[in-house]
Amino acid sequence: MKKTKSFAKFFMIILSAILVMAGCSSKESNTSNGDSKAAPYEVTIAYLSFANIDDLPAVQEEINKITKKKINATVKLMPIGPAAWQQQSNLMLTGNEKLDLIVTTASGGFLTQAAKGQFIALDDLLKSHGQDILKVVPKHLLEGGKVKGEIYGVPSMRDFGMNYGFGMRKDIVDKYQIDLSKVKTFADLGEVFKLIKENEPTLIPVVNAKSVANPVTVVTGGLYDQLGDYLGVMSFKDKKIINLFGDPDYIKALELVREWYKAGYIAKDAATSTDTPESMIKANKAFGFFNRMKPGYEVQEQSMTGYEMVTVRLTDVYSYTDAAIGINLSIARNSQNTEKAMELMNLLYSDKDIMNLLANGIEGKHYQVKPDGTVSLPDGVKESKYVFNQWEIGNNYLTYPWEGNSPELWEEMKKFNDSAILSPAFGFQFNPDPVKTEIAAATNVLNQYKDGLETGTLDPEKSLPEFNEKLKAAGLDKIIAEKQSQFDKWKKENK
Amino acid sequence: MSEITMKTADTDVQSVPAKKINKRMVKFSRYFPLFIMLVPGLIYLLINNYLPMFGLVIAFKDINYAKGIFASDWIGFKNFEYLFKTKDAFIITRNTILYNGGFIILHTVIAIGVAIMLNEIKNKLMKSFYQSVILLPFLISMVIVSYLGFAFLSVDIGYLNKTLLPMLGLEEIQWYFEAKFWPYILTFIHIWKSVGFFCVIYLAAIIGIDKEFYEASTLDGASKMQQIWYITIPSIMPVIIMMTLLAIGRIFYSDFGLFYQVPMNSGAIYDTTNVIDTYVYRGLMQLGDIGMSAAAGLYQSIVGFVLVLISNYIVRRKNKENALF
Amino acid sequence: MYKSDRITQWVSHTILLLLSIGSIIPFIILVSSSFTDEATILKDGYSFFPKEFSFAAYDYLLNNSGSILRAYGITVFVTLFGTILSLTITSLLAYALSRRDLPYRNTFAFIVFFTLLFNGGMVPTYLVYTEIFDIKNTIWALIIPGLLMNGFNVLLMRTFFITSIPEPVIESARIDGAGEFRTFFSIILPLSLPILATIGLLQTITYWNDWFNGLIYLTEPSLFSIQNILNRMLADIQFLASNNLGGNAAEAASQIPSTGVRMAIAVIGVLPILIAYPFFQKYLVKGIAIGAVKG
Repeated sequence: MKKTKSFAKFFMIILSAILVMAGCSSKESNTSNGDSKAAPYEVTIAYLSFANIDDLPAVQEEINKITKKKINATVKLMPIGPAAWQQQSNLMLTGNEKLDLIVTTASGGFLTQAAKGQFIALDDLLKSHGQDILKVVPKHLLEGGKVKGEIYGVPSMRDFGMNYGFGMRKDIVDKYQIDLSKVKTFADLGEVFKLIKENEPTLIPVVNAKSVANPVTVVTGGLYDQLGDYLGVMSFKDKKIINLFGDPDYIKALELVREWYKAGYIAKDAATSTDTPESMIKANKAFGFFNRMKPGYEVQEQSMTGYEMVTVRLTDVYSYTDAAIGINLSIARNSQNTEKAMELMNLLYSDKDIMNLLANGIEGKHYQVKPDGTVSLPDGVKESKYVFNQWEIGNNYLTYPWEGNSPELWEEMKKFNDSAILSPAFGFQFNPDPVKTEIAAATNVLNQYKDGLETGTLDPEKSLPEFNEKLKAAGLDKIIAEKQSQFDKWKKENK
Repeated sequence: MSEITMKTADTDVQSVPAKKINKRMVKFSRYFPLFIMLVPGLIYLLINNYLPMFGLVIAFKDINYAKGIFASDWIGFKNFEYLFKTKDAFIITRNTILYNGGFIILHTVIAIGVAIMLNEIKNKLMKSFYQSVILLPFLISMVIVSYLGFAFLSVDIGYLNKTLLPMLGLEEIQWYFEAKFWPYILTFIHIWKSVGFFCVIYLAAIIGIDKEFYEASTLDGASKMQQIWYITIPSIMPVIIMMTLLAIGRIFYSDFGLFYQVPMNSGAIYDTTNVIDTYVYRGLMQLGDIGMSAAAGLYQSIVGFVLVLISNYIVRRKNKENALF
Repeated sequence: MYKSDRITQWVSHTILLLLSIGSIIPFIILVSSSFTDEATILKDGYSFFPKEFSFAAYDYLLNNSGSILRAYGITVFVTLFGTILSLTITSLLAYALSRRDLPYRNTFAFIVFFTLLFNGGMVPTYLVYTEIFDIKNTIWALIIPGLLMNGFNVLLMRTFFITSIPEPVIESARIDGAGEFRTFFSIILPLSLPILATIGLLQTITYWNDWFNGLIYLTEPSLFSIQNILNRMLADIQFLASNNLGGNAAEAASQIPSTGVRMAIAVIGVLPILIAYPFFQKYLVKGIAIGAVKG
């Protein structure tokens, strides 16, 4: 008795302490609001950063010179490393911290964040302060990312489609005079792998690992729109939502890859390895790997592997509904001045100088323009102290391509994007809320089997029925039914 | 926390006879310094632990940030459903309890054994050497342990498959795909990593034992084993009981790094590596639903809480001094 | 009797030596791979002795973080300051709780114990510390949240006080007219060196190894501790493995450190605490000496 009584008292004290402190903090924020007058509004922008950014303050200052003049605002760049990204971006959107613009990604939970009210709807702001964005960003992409009928993110201008193929070392291809034009289907690659396996015992023909797509994902590229989570996918053929893991085409691909695995073509640890395929090639241990591709892929891979790379691309270019929400810029719920935030976003899609500063740094210090229109490190500079992940923010078409790329990179990119075949579900964004219990259970099953099957490590004959049975038990049918009904509703509304 | 007593003193003023008040005041002033000692620690617990407990309500809510945490809709136990719904729920609960139960027994016995032996060593230099080295694994993070594990277990570049097994003339083994090995691997790694830590704690307790007991028993002709059994173990019993009770309280939690990083998140071995924490993590990666993760945490806490209350009750009935509270 | 003592020594030495070897073997692989060229590891597998020496991993570390020295400074400050503060608060609370005559003793113990089982979770804790105390991007963020004191250490210390400090010691101090605080600082603490060294060691390790607070509360790189920097390098890989960024992942992957670098990171993270360890060792040993005096 006595114990409970004093315990209750303890909680009373806690409660009063909360109230007191909450009172204090709200007072504080009031006063700080009063201080801000006509001074330029500081727009805080959080984004993902992988690299060396010692010179960030200098770049920020240069950007501010322009923004002060144009929109009476300054910018505070807030790069966050990938290690902290998931946690910090979520936490910042939870509290009341100062944050205006934030990069959001489909894999980082854009849909959930939008649905849970962590962003501000942009439709009206775009019309009033974001005219240039409307001009630049294709309508189907802008509208394709709608959540509950409203726009919450503006996609960065980059590659929106992908085609699928196999990239490999050119020196080996030349050595055995492999005629890649004869490779017409993925199955044809088996002959190439066989040749390598027999003649180059120290080279693994295929080294897919966790950092790139699974072989089966590539082999079935363009057949399905995964709708984000693989649990119920849109079949391009049937135009309806099906269970990926029961589809005959998918099973055929599983069997093909399993054959390759059994023949020793695929790295034994493909399902678990955290070493990137590029590092394996660099170590002269591997021949090539399957992946999704875009313009400039070969150049990019060459710089990472140290070997000249050639690719066979075996599919058309496809664009999935994920593309519209893949990487966006959103305005956070806590933004204190949404108009200014939108004005800055507008500049990111229209102002060449700002975009080049953001993407490449300061001219002469971090890059120099070469005669052909690409840029490189200035003479005598070995390592730039400002590196930005270009695909992330704004209109990348305004920036100079890095050397090694084609000077026409962005034109090629536009053509590539325009050639993309749109998914029948393009613009449909699934709301997982009604079936989240089932999704949590099914995601675990997915994790258990998918990588093993799709790299050929697990025998589909034995594991696939097991897999499907467990998915069923986890409630996959219910998820598919929910997806289909949401899709039907969406289709009706958008016709 | 002196406030509590002050308040009790205040409210009692009207109703209690003057003598009793006096007695209380005396008692209060006598313990006042002790209460002052409590204050910094309790304030910290209040801020760091009790204030955030408002978050427990998240487990019962459908969070919408536009509305705010408190104003979001109540949805009862819906957030808990996924923890019980499937067949996997049984496997993960079984794995969690078996692993943690085994860990508690093994690391306690081994750590006490090692601590006793360390205490016996006379050569100071060697003693210090052993102790430092055995603590070494405790100092590195699980991510690094997982890389070390990989260095040994990797299919094609691991030390076991590349060097040791061929030396013994054995076939190479697909470690990350064979569920049957993992109960041993994980137990081994846990013991390897944590024995140093528990050993330090038990050693401190052993060092604290009054040397007089040993000297007296030596005079009586007691053997080493008898001394250990009749003096050392009973003397450190309070520490053993406390450590065990605390471990029981967290029996539904597991070392995330050990069960997620070390097996390289390999799906083929989930049957023996999936525990509640990893299940929750994997299930919510896509959804990012804080309501559901709060629900999992609350479920784990409550089970642990009930188990501790029961064990503490049992301990209390045997020996009041040894009970936690 | 002599003989049985000798046997005990031999048995103990043998077993402890074996255990020590078992503990140290993986570290040899760790250190040796940090000195091995990455391509060699991928080709020949891991081994105890590097076939081809390479300092590339350490070069990478030096070049990639000009801020490593400052980070070391921050880590050292946080570790020292945090540990001392933590020991003070913990021992005061634990001592008061250990007194058999403290009113509401069990209630207070329960309040401490309760925190070990229930917590509000990361999001509420973050909100408390950032919204009420505005701790984000300050050095306090590395010292206070979650680390400063934990109930486990309090209970551990309390148990030590109960079992190892004889009540007559406190009683006689009071009779001599010493106040509670004087008793505590000049009589209890000197008697408690083993437990102070133990908890001090645990706290030092906790502060030294902590990366989580930096991960959550810091966006300002100038405040990063050494573990924040090291962890950041390590976590990049996992981020890419679990987040599908399509073709763009490749560009990011090129900035990921290699196996050798990961191992070098681990070595750099562990080394200093190994150097600090003998310091605590000294006090643990001293504790024995005091025990002897007592007996």
